[in-house]
This record gives sequence, C-alpha cells and structure tokens, in this order.
Amino acid sequence: MATTLQDIDGDTLRAWMVQYITTVLDLPEGKLDTSESFTTYGLDSVEAVVMAGVMEEEFRVQVDPMLFFEHHTIDDFVQTYAKPSEQSLAGEKTG
Amino acid sequence: MDPDLSLVVVCYEMARELPRTLLSLSPAYQRGVSPGRYEVIVVDNGSAEPPEARQFADFGLTLRVLRCSSASPSPVAALNEGLAAARGTLVGAWIDGARLASPGLLHAATTAASLHPRPIVATTNYQLGFQRQHLSAAEGYDRAREDELLGSIDWPRDGYRLFEVATPEMKNPPFGPMLESNALFMPKSLWNELSGYDPAFTEPGGGMVNPDTLARACALPATQLIRLMGEATFHQIHGGMTTSSAALALQTLNEGSRFYLRLRGQPLKPIRKLGWVVDASKNAILACDGPSEIVAGAVGQ
Repeated sequence: MATTLQDIDGDTLRAWMVQYITTVLDLPEGKLDTSESFTTYGLDSVEAVVMAGVMEEEFRVQVDPMLFFEHHTIDDFVQTYAKPSEQSLAGEKTG
Repeated sequence: MDPDLSLVVVCYEMARELPRTLLSLSPAYQRGVSPGRYEVIVVDNGSAEPPEARQFADFGLTLRVLRCSSASPSPVAALNEGLAAARGTLVGAWIDGARLASPGLLHAATTAASLHPRPIVATTNYQLGFQRQHLSAAEGYDRAREDELLGSIDWPRDGYRLFEVATPEMKNPPFGPMLESNALFMPKSLWNELSGYDPAFTEPGGGMVNPDTLARACALPATQLIRLMGEATFHQIHGGMTTSSAALALQTLNEGSRFYLRLRGQPLKPIRKLGWVVDASKNAILACDGPSEIVAGAVGQ
C-alpha cells in the first residue's frame, strides 16, 4: 500500500488522473492533453480539492490540494510527486 | 387555504443574520409575490437562544418558527422537519439561514417552476464581499466589515445592488458548473419522492449533503433542471464551515468529498448539464440543452 504520493507509480497515477478528469468533466475519451493546465479542461478549484480527496481514498495517501495549484498540469504533477515509472526509468538508462 | 409556496429556512446561532434573511424574504422586499400566498418556516437547529416569531412580526410574513426535535451539528434533521411541516405546493429549502435573497427570487422561482411538471429550480450562490469569504476572512473581513458593506449600498433599499458587493461561488453563473444551490425549489411531491435530505450526512454543516441533494434531484426521472438568471442568494459571514477560513473550507470539502465517495460510490461533481436558464423578469427561457420543442411549449404557457 502506498503511504505517500512518491510510492505511486507515475504511469498509474497519470492514468488515474486522466480517467478521473475525463469522467468528472464528461470529456470525450482519449481527448485529454496531459500537458495542458487543469483550468484549460474546466477543472475549477473546488473540483481540484475534491480530486485530492478522491485521490486520497483511492491510493490511501495524503494529498494536499494546494499541490494542484502549484503544479497545474497532470504531467507536471506526476513528474514532481509520483514515483518514476519503470518505463521512464528504462528510457533514461538507455537514452 | 394552503399557500402556493413554502420556504424552509434553517438557522443556528444566527441572531445577526436571520433577521436580514427574513427581511429579504418579506413581502415588502420581494417583488411580484402576494403576501399570504407563501409561508416561511424557520427551523432552529439548537441555538442557545432560539429565535421567536414575534421578533419578526413587523416583516408581514406568514411565519412559523420551529425548534428541531433532534438538533445536531448537521442541518439535515432540521431541514427534513421543515419540509414535513411545509404546506405549499412548491417548497424552497434554505440550508443556510444566513443567506439574503435578491428581490425577485420568489417570483422567479414560482414562475420557473410553473414551466415544467417536475421542475428542479436552482439559484446561484453568491457570498458578500469581493472575494469568497474563506479568503476574505483571512484579510480581516468580518461581521463589522460586512455591516459596512451592506450600508454602502443602502441595503435593503434596492436588493439587486447586492450583486455589486458580492462574489459568485462558481464561475459564470448561472450557466457554469453548479455544485449546489442554497435556495432549491421543488414541488412538495418531488421533495417527498427524494425523501428530503439524506440523514447519512451527519457531519457539521451537513458536509456535502447540499450538492448531494441537487444531484439526486436532477437524477429523478423526467425532472427538469431550471436555473434562474438574475436572481441569487448572498451569504452573510457567520462562522460557517466553508466560509470561515481557507483551512476549514479545504478540510470540509476534502473530508466531505471522501465521505461522499464512500457513500455514493462515485466522486462528487458539480452539475454541468445546463438545463433551462430562465429570466423571469423577461418571462423567457434564455438557454437550454433540451429538445427545442419542449422549450417552445414551455415559453408559450
């Protein structure tokens, strides 16, 4: 079980955030650009706080909602806080 | 004769705020409604010194003041007791008795509700002050500043001037996402169908019970969400769970959203469906996301 965001695999967290935001905002599947800011999608501050709460429930970690205001794209958030995924580590080793 | 409209107003320790709220609901302030055709039911949720109807005798209201039989930090029981006591065909629920109404709100809600057999009439929430109160409170906004603010627009002379000194809780009202509506109107039959507010929400302030109620109402079969244009409620600062400080607002929303997820099995989310947007002052539906023939029929009524 994860205890902090850094215990969560980056790809797992990215996929979860994409799915969550797509569902909550009723966006078409596969259309969300993870390099765009949350506000571009229409995710407001209230929903960001809610997302933090749901993330806490899902991954059993504490999530400060203010992190979404400091790192306001999925890519930035995941790269800053999650554990680098095996795939990206492999890419770094071979790159 | 039973009234056309009942308003259920829940209060707790609102000696300063409740008189203004009731004044804003009075026949002298509200436009286009007939005195005697609506009633106000105040349900006190355990105040040390509960309000009494005689304090508001000058307002010309058909008023009952009840004391919740099972007062608790959550307003749910008080709301449901008020809903049970309501005699009107249309019932509006005020989960927070610290909210002022705009002057055409009751007329607009009544008009909008008449456009559909199963209407869910939602009003936009504003907060007094130039930013949301959980932020302004940290900069010194308090009851005294708010009194000055209301004085600056000579309230209650023209209640529409409240829009000049208030901040919407959500973006682009009334067209944007709507998390909740403080003044939520439905026929009494729909409130019964919904079984009122869900008693599972026992948290102080009720947690996310108000968003939950709006979402459940909109999910009832064949209902029509109707948003009101140009009317709103305005929150007076009073120590509420989501308006007193940023930390408390975040904590309440965070814990509330987690509880909601556990209870409902899905995340809390604002209503994005537009429904109908009604401007009662123009007797017009300004926008809709439903079939146009239905809207055309409604306008013609």
